[in-house]
Amino acid sequence: MIICPNCKHDNMSGAMFCVECGAQLLGEDALTTQNISTDEFRKALPKVDQDMYVPFDGRDAWGSLHLLDTGQVLPLSSRNEFTLGRISEGQPIMPDVDLSPYQAYAGGVSRLHAVIKQDGGRVVLMDLGSANGTYINGKRLQPNVEQIINHGDIVALGKLKIQVLLKIA
Amino acid sequence: MLSNKPDYYALLGILRDATPEEIKRAYFDAAQKLHPDKNVAPGETEIFLGVQQAYEVLSNPKRRSLYDATLPPELETNSAVKYELIFSRPNLVRLAEPQLVYGLLEVGSREGADKIPAPPLNVCLVLDRSTSMHGDKLDMVKSAAVQLIRSLRPQDVFSVVAFSDTAEVIIPAAINWETNKREALIQFMQSSGSTELYQGLDAGLQEVRRSLNPSRVNHIILLTDGHTYGDEQACLELAEGAARQNIGITGLGVGAEWNDIFLDALASRTGGSSAYISKPKDIQRILVDKFNALISTFADDVILEYREQENVKINYAFRLQPEGGTVEVEDPIHLGPVSRELPLIVLLEFVIDPAALEQASIMLLDGALKISVAALPAPIAPIRLRVMREVHETPSSDPPPTKILTALSRLTLYRMQERARVAADGGEYSSASRHLQNLATHLLSQGENSLAKSVLLEADSLERMHAWTASGNKDIKYNTRALLLSGPKEQAR
Repeated sequence: MIICPNCKHDNMSGAMFCVECGAQLLGEDALTTQNISTDEFRKALPKVDQDMYVPFDGRDAWGSLHLLDTGQVLPLSSRNEFTLGRISEGQPIMPDVDLSPYQAYAGGVSRLHAVIKQDGGRVVLMDLGSANGTYINGKRLQPNVEQIINHGDIVALGKLKIQVLLKIA
Repeated sequence: MLSNKPDYYALLGILRDATPEEIKRAYFDAAQKLHPDKNVAPGETEIFLGVQQAYEVLSNPKRRSLYDATLPPELETNSAVKYELIFSRPNLVRLAEPQLVYGLLEVGSREGADKIPAPPLNVCLVLDRSTSMHGDKLDMVKSAAVQLIRSLRPQDVFSVVAFSDTAEVIIPAAINWETNKREALIQFMQSSGSTELYQGLDAGLQEVRRSLNPSRVNHIILLTDGHTYGDEQACLELAEGAARQNIGITGLGVGAEWNDIFLDALASRTGGSSAYISKPKDIQRILVDKFNALISTFADDVILEYREQENVKINYAFRLQPEGGTVEVEDPIHLGPVSRELPLIVLLEFVIDPAALEQASIMLLDGALKISVAALPAPIAPIRLRVMREVHETPSSDPPPTKILTALSRLTLYRMQERARVAADGGEYSSASRHLQNLATHLLSQGENSLAKSVLLEADSLERMHAWTASGNKDIKYNTRALLLSGPKEQAR
């Protein structure tokens, strides 16, 4: 018996590919997980100045979401917590910020994907068990674990990339 | 290539250790095919006489043993074909559970095949003209048929049968008919009625049988756009009869409404395959491609006859080349055609039961390949395939051959699609959807983005609507099948 390293399916001895998920079970170049250092990646991030932050929705906005693919900037104001997701027909789930006008479906954004919170002096992001994951600067978040984000970080909901711009007190 | 002494075993198409019953059956089969009352090709009467002489000698045990003593030792090199059978593992492992071994069989023409003239055709086009074909589809079929008629060579026999709930011979099987007359008959075709495949297939086979000749490529191209009801079993029996006479069947399905699983079963019984035509405008291109493939046939069908071994089973077989398609595991197995340019490649999956592993070595395959080369009048001696494998205590550390790994990596995708299909048919939609999502992940990693996208769309549709989109399952099936074809080709270059 060969247990698939990917999906734990029991395959018959001598199998070369998992019948359940198609992962390669033997051979030199079997799929392995690699840890890629994100330090380099961080240096390559687009530089942001504090000047770039221009709230256009009054003084009370504590941050905004810059959608990198389409260029829009969505301000975050008047409350401390926003759920991010995509409204779909016939579903009762209503995220606070609906990303469906920005190709959220094609980008693999879940209906309730993540939440961004202002909590005292810091801002945190938490994945809500989304199908395609939430990434900060390319690093995947554990679902339901808060992660501090900084001004200029690139957040990816699935493939939808958003730069987070924060007003630093 | 030919020795001065005739090889009686080759003439009858049997192995040297054939039993008296096998000799008798082979003689009757050959006599039926080659009898002077029936044969038309030059040289066939001579072969018939040779077959009779062979039977006289081999059916008499005394004369047979005298003859056997004069034979040179058995060599595999006297044949016009070459073959190779490689395995995923060099030996088996002694385990208390079933294990898998993969075999990749390649059968090709030996060097110099290009000097053998291309075989003449005996092709019948069996066209669905039920009401649903009306309009675009029938118009495209007509223009495609006209183009085929214009491209015929003088030696080709061509016929056309149109069917709905009845069948009509539009162009009877003949050579050298006036092109204009044929074209006019095609243009007069009108759509009406429902689809009853049996009618068309039966009439088409009758046309092909009129000019049935082993030195031609005898083939039926069936084009349909709908389901047939109730006569599936009868159609499959017709196909089995066709296979025994070396008549191949290709199934072409237009649009979303036809039954691809049935058409695959029908075609694969003769070693043929099915193809999917998603848009009417592709009818012409696919028909012309199929015709060209028939013209470049080297052998119509390679047949694997084998003795079933206790505790060893051929579990699954798939043809990767020259036309990707399902291979029915029966006895005998119709593996498919060999093209002049592309050898036949078939992947076989063996399951070995632990009970077999008590011996030091076991017989994995004991059989023979029977090949009829259309352009060669004399039959080719069957190729013996006898594969023994040793049973070891520990698995070999050798990596599997790259050829098998590459072929399997692609075939795995096709089989995931098959599993999704089975799950969906059984009402397990979330499991089907999960298989498709896994499939999409692999497609993405292989750079097949647009196919991955349509697979995801189907996964979504299955999950939410519990149904495929109109042509979704066919799109995925035939597109993953097309990947298989591009796989081994790249490998060869």
